[in-house]
Amino acid sequence: MRRLVPVLVVLMALAAAACSGNRDGDVEETPTPAATVESSTSMEPTSEPDDSAAESEAPAVSVGKQGGVFRRTWSDPPTLDPALVTDTTSAGLAVEIFSGLVAFNTDLELVPDIAERWDVSPDGLRYTFYLRPEAKFHDGKPITANDFKWSLDRAANPDTGSPVADTYLNDIIGVDAVLEGRATSISGVKVIDDHTLQIEIDLPKAYFLAKLTYPTAYVLDRENVESGGRSWTDSPNGSGPFKLKEYRVGERIVLERNENYYRTPANVDSILMNLAGGQAMAMYENDEIDIVGVGLLNLPRVLDPDGDLNKDLVVAPPDFTVSYIGFNSTMHPFKDSKFRQALNHAINKELIAEDVLSGLVVPAYGPLPPGFPGHNESLEGLRYDPELARRLLAESDYPTLSDEDKRIVITVPGTGGTIGLDLEVILQMWESELGVSVEIQQVEWATYLEDLQDAKFQAFAGLGWEADYPDPQDFLDILFHSESSTNHGLYSNSAVDAVLEEARTEPDVARRMELYREAEQMIVSDAAWVPLWYAGERYVLIKDHVNDYRVTPMIVPKLKQIYIE
Amino acid sequence: MWVYIARRLLWLPVLLFMVSAVTFALFRVVPGDPVTTMLGSRYNEATAERLREALNLDRPLAVQYASYMWGVIRPKMHTVRFGEEGGAEFRAPFLGLDFGESFRFRGRAVGPLLRSKMWVSLQVNTAAMVVALGIGLPLGFWVAHRQGSWLDPATVAAGVILASIPIMVTGPAILWAGCLRLDLIPCSGWGGLFDARILSVMLAMGIPGVAGFVRLMRASTLDVMGQDFIRTAHSKGLSGVAIDYRHVLRNALIPIITILAFSLSGMLTTSFVAERIFGIPGVGSFAIDSLFNRDYPVMMGLTIIVTTAFVLSILAADIAYAYVDPRIRYDANQGGAA
Amino acid sequence: MAFLNRAPAVGLETRRRGHLARAWSRLTRKKIAMACVITLVVLYGSGIFAQFAAPYGYTEPHYDRIRQPPSLAHPFGTDRQGGRDMLSRVMWGVQNTVIITVIAVVTGGLVLGVTLGLVSGYFGGRVDAVISRVGEFSAAFPEVLLMIVIAATVKPRLLVWVRWLEDNTFMDNLVRVGVQDYVAISVALVAFSWFGMARIVRGQVLVLKATQYVEAARALGSSTPRVLFNHLLPNSISIVVVVVSSSMGALVFAEIVLGFLGLGIQPPRPSLGQMLLQAGNIETLQNEWWMLVFPSVVVWLIILSWTLLGDALVDVLNPRTR
Repeated sequence: MRRLVPVLVVLMALAAAACSGNRDGDVEETPTPAATVESSTSMEPTSEPDDSAAESEAPAVSVGKQGGVFRRTWSDPPTLDPALVTDTTSAGLAVEIFSGLVAFNTDLELVPDIAERWDVSPDGLRYTFYLRPEAKFHDGKPITANDFKWSLDRAANPDTGSPVADTYLNDIIGVDAVLEGRATSISGVKVIDDHTLQIEIDLPKAYFLAKLTYPTAYVLDRENVESGGRSWTDSPNGSGPFKLKEYRVGERIVLERNENYYRTPANVDSILMNLAGGQAMAMYENDEIDIVGVGLLNLPRVLDPDGDLNKDLVVAPPDFTVSYIGFNSTMHPFKDSKFRQALNHAINKELIAEDVLSGLVVPAYGPLPPGFPGHNESLEGLRYDPELARRLLAESDYPTLSDEDKRIVITVPGTGGTIGLDLEVILQMWESELGVSVEIQQVEWATYLEDLQDAKFQAFAGLGWEADYPDPQDFLDILFHSESSTNHGLYSNSAVDAVLEEARTEPDVARRMELYREAEQMIVSDAAWVPLWYAGERYVLIKDHVNDYRVTPMIVPKLKQIYIE
Repeated sequence: MWVYIARRLLWLPVLLFMVSAVTFALFRVVPGDPVTTMLGSRYNEATAERLREALNLDRPLAVQYASYMWGVIRPKMHTVRFGEEGGAEFRAPFLGLDFGESFRFRGRAVGPLLRSKMWVSLQVNTAAMVVALGIGLPLGFWVAHRQGSWLDPATVAAGVILASIPIMVTGPAILWAGCLRLDLIPCSGWGGLFDARILSVMLAMGIPGVAGFVRLMRASTLDVMGQDFIRTAHSKGLSGVAIDYRHVLRNALIPIITILAFSLSGMLTTSFVAERIFGIPGVGSFAIDSLFNRDYPVMMGLTIIVTTAFVLSILAADIAYAYVDPRIRYDANQGGAA
Repeated sequence: MAFLNRAPAVGLETRRRGHLARAWSRLTRKKIAMACVITLVVLYGSGIFAQFAAPYGYTEPHYDRIRQPPSLAHPFGTDRQGGRDMLSRVMWGVQNTVIITVIAVVTGGLVLGVTLGLVSGYFGGRVDAVISRVGEFSAAFPEVLLMIVIAATVKPRLLVWVRWLEDNTFMDNLVRVGVQDYVAISVALVAFSWFGMARIVRGQVLVLKATQYVEAARALGSSTPRVLFNHLLPNSISIVVVVVSSSMGALVFAEIVLGFLGLGIQPPRPSLGQMLLQAGNIETLQNEWWMLVFPSVVVWLIILSWTLLGDALVDVLNPRTR
């Protein structure tokens, strides 16, 4: 599945402009509101799982670096129950306290976790996992295949109310029956013996193992869950490298090292997460936290090679997101593609990216981000060309429309009148280059989502898209096929539909990518969107004494390898 | 008097019922619902349906409302413990006060969640109020007796000049100076009432309060001092101190009490800006986030608690009125002042 | 207190001196008051006539001058969103504040609150009970929720009406000016602000009603409105003025909170409250100080002038200190 990101929040977070109760770019994963979701399936397993997989275990850090406290800011997690986790804030904690069969390491390679190895049947449908015999919960109780079976059954049970069980577990045979309440046990999950678990899926899927890295598929201690009632997560008996030592809502979370951990235990004694937040950068400078994301405003100061902060700077790779302005192509004046093209050509994205957003984003001319499968370097985007824009506008039916039809309202999510630094400039450009005036309506997120799903907006902005798995289908088919439920602009082009449908079943990878490039070019030339930005590199400051902290574009367990000197 | 209080207390459940019912209904009127928000781009009918069922949102509205309110009022044994483990324990039946489980913070009961957030806000507001009242009232009273001296306009002007600076400036300025430059206080975060970090908020929120109370107290004291009964008291030869405390101070406090009662219930939104600047996990930002996520149980719980607090503080103000000014009598039959 | 200790003995003389002293201090305050009036006239004037007075349009971009500190061309500097002139934006922001202060004062706070407070306190009994109960309901009700409701339900409808007005009358640009936003804001403000004022006035009236001169006025056959508006209102005025003038500062906050709940003025129209909220952090203070300092100074001047003017007004209006 995929996620919708309110880019507004992301951009404002970059601006460190104290926005909507979110952290000001302090966490490099950029926690977003509860409505957005982080997924761990966005990476294909990079190493072929085979019997020698156990060797790909990350090399243990040399001993003698134990001790110390790692301090950072975090937000109150909506939940610590792995089955219910949908957001980055919760996931960042769940992956450290709990664990599952497989995991991503900080290089985003799929590595064995509780399962020390696994076999895949030749047809790619049956996975047999061999659990580490030494795997234990925090309290020392051994982890068995039965625990996994129970945990997966629980996650899929409708009474648990997991919003993501459908997303992450639906490949497993029998999950739908449990989800619909027709069964209580997933038929595709079988316990062979105490340390062997077999999972059957419906179709061969390369990304199935990646889905299992998400907390939904983690193992829980049945006794802990059942005796703790609905507040069992206050004292979770997990299996991850850290134990929840203290959680004071709104104040702090303290994690301490799990000495019973079945792999190399963590180096640091504890992790101190400050939940109160506030002026993160100042806290960093005052040596209250060890890591902080750099906001727009502080960027020049941090990039200055003579500054004190420059030595702490870490540049992290961008993630695969694109932000855009969507048009409803069934409403005037967006019915006319010439008008949409004119709007595209009238925006000087290079200028905005450089001067307004301080180079934190990369101008986008198509939906597929650089580095993403199918990304087309030679894509012919609708570049800044005010002359052409004016000509297209004159040719379009816009000048002939009635005043009522000329009216454009662009809806953005959020509150507080902060609509993102870029959008105001874009509207100014439309006004000054084309004389097209646009009104902004800001509605709060819950209303926005509902109206977006009902395709009520004439134009909408403040949104980004991030794939959950690296396949152009997740961008192009999902967003632009006329029958897709996430085609919020009701874009409909039968030629594009035909190419997208052909690509769905095309077995040859190269040919398939070719089809997607073709579709993307058609979509871009037809100006279904205004693609705005791809995520740029992110800047993070990490204190000198913290070593081996890896900034990753997605949530993975990473706190156990850091050490303090 | 007692009858009056009793009548007002009897009005409380009626008001609570009205407010909670309207809140409940309004939530269903506004667009957006918790499930849509929870699912975001993963929205599909089947999952949404399942979640609605799990959250009991599929039941008729009247049933949902009734079951929520039943949780709140159903009597249950409460245990109150004084002192640490092994201290005196009292068990008494009382309203259940079960506000359900949050939609946003899954698995967390609304009661404790709200309690911790409100406790934080209460501490911050109390600290600021202590600063404001502790300095403002005596200063205002004193300055009112310095009519004609340069001290009076100077104090008022200084207070006003300070208080007029928006907290968006004083906040960052205090942090910048106190934390980054002078290294006196930690930059941000929250550690409770007896933690250095509260100082910055206390100052930023308290200073405008000081100026406000100085002016209120001064105006109100001057008002009272100019009134006939004070002149009468003077001419009767009562000692100045006695007049000051028995008559002037008492009467001057009346309008202050009203303001206080209101600022108590206004806690929810007023501290919202300060909470954002100083990173305080109070109820202001929490309420707004809950609202945006359509966290019905939290909003209902909050409504009920805030309404109760409001009614009680108004009642307290009324009683205080009668106490400080014996001329005001609440007539049981009329329900008003006689 | 020493002052009062001596008072009974030399009552007459003290009072005369007090009178002179009061007159003197009133005079100095009136100078301040005049300064306040001038400041307010200048600020409000620049806001009201921002269209003519502002050197640039509030959305006029200068892409070559993004994020510049104050200069001769841009005395308040330029912002990040396309190098817009901050001076012009602040002036337009003042216009927004002018409209909101007028709305807030004229609607909920003053007219409704004072009238109902007088009535409630004076008549007591059933009238008082009804007004108080209704007020308690509206005040006890979580305002944030009601604001969301207004934003979600009233505003879209308002937008349609305003559009209709635009299309069918000679009035243009109503939507751009934000008429619908202001109407929605005033609805929200009325709903919440009247009761606070009513309570305060009621409390004051309760006290005054018991004094002899009201009884005397009644005994002399003064009509009820006469007692209310000629006797009770002037005597309650000082507290009303203090509350109104000090609530001017709160209005800036009210606007921020309203904006946060989706009830504020829509961008790109500038608003002082939103400017402060966005710039109110250490980062801005360290890196783009002009973005925070100039709007703050203007807000500060407005609040300060209102407050000092309010104090002066107390002296002028209150019959007992006159």
